[in-house]
Amino acid sequence: MSSDANQPELTHDPALLDEQLVAYLDGELDEETARLIETRAESDPKLQERLQEFGRAWELLNQLEQAETAGSFTEATLEMVAIEAEAEAQLREAERPRLRRRRRAMIGAGLLLAGVIGALAGAGLRPDPNRPLLEKLPVIENVDQYIQILDENETAGQSIEFLRKLHEAKLFATEDEGNNEEDKDEIR
Amino acid sequence: MLEVRDDSAAAFEELVLRYQGRLVGVLAHLIGSRDQAEDLAQEVFMRVYRARKAYVPGAKFSTWLFTIANNVASNALRTLARRHEVRPQTRSSGPMGAHPMDYLAEASSSQMPVRRLAKAEAREMVRLAIESLGERQRMAVLLSRFEGMCYADIAEVMGLSPQAIKSLLARARGNLRDALAPYVERGEQPGMRKNENGE
Repeated sequence: MSSDANQPELTHDPALLDEQLVAYLDGELDEETARLIETRAESDPKLQERLQEFGRAWELLNQLEQAETAGSFTEATLEMVAIEAEAEAQLREAERPRLRRRRRAMIGAGLLLAGVIGALAGAGLRPDPNRPLLEKLPVIENVDQYIQILDENETAGQSIEFLRKLHEAKLFATEDEGNNEEDKDEIR
Repeated sequence: MLEVRDDSAAAFEELVLRYQGRLVGVLAHLIGSRDQAEDLAQEVFMRVYRARKAYVPGAKFSTWLFTIANNVASNALRTLARRHEVRPQTRSSGPMGAHPMDYLAEASSSQMPVRRLAKAEAREMVRLAIESLGERQRMAVLLSRFEGMCYADIAEVMGLSPQAIKSLLARARGNLRDALAPYVERGEQPGMRKNENGE
């Protein structure tokens, strides 16, 4: 137990305490906990001994041999990488025509698509030459009758007057002819 | 590394020269075979070369390198485990050299100075203590002890959280302390034991 009730305590769990001690030795503890361990270690010989044991075991690892690679290792490694780089370059070279073909095909497909879109857009905007004929179809269908009437009435003024009357009587009119102002003008 | 990314052969050579010793050292202690460690180190450098374009400027190169090394070593250990060859019977290097039996025979014939024998024994003991650790504990210990990496970097290399590394290292160091108890308790350095004559 700590003499000061406000003093934070170290954990009593041995595993967690070991974690804190090792982290302390590795310089990975926060300042407050590190100070707590130092204070406790001063008055607790067991804790001090535990810290020393961890530290000594760690120092013993210096006994392990340090690897020294031979010059042949460097040469062999660089040679392997050079072969890899060459293979990589050859692969790139081999892929170049294929990539070029693919690029050309993509450009061709793009141009074709643009052409199709252009043609469709042009067709939509261009006026239909059959449209006026279709609009005047009722007049064309009845042109023989109109000529016959004109022949029977020698005076042009009378004929026109007669035709207007016919038109107003809608004897030859189709359903939507009444709305077609162009036809009216044509008859006039 | 940025120059390596831009296909500079000289920069790659410098990289190999700078890191090969450290890499082979860590891999040798991890795998337990110096020859195999060199093969794996070459594989690591090859992977570094292949992945050079993916290197992000600002990333710590050593962390990146040892992340690759950890993956390569893990794969190798898995393959070895499948072949039931986790512990190679012959070592091409180590405190007792390529032929430990010859070494021990020489030692027992009193032709070897006592101090040299004690030091060799101590090295072997430390090596065995390291080998007695699990793969992850061993890697964490090697990165912490020999690469001086902080918990956050070790965590990145091993794909774990810093808290997991804290626990892992605590357990590893506890295991090492137990395995090296004879030296730890006496507080003496291996190889410095006095012989019977107090020499």
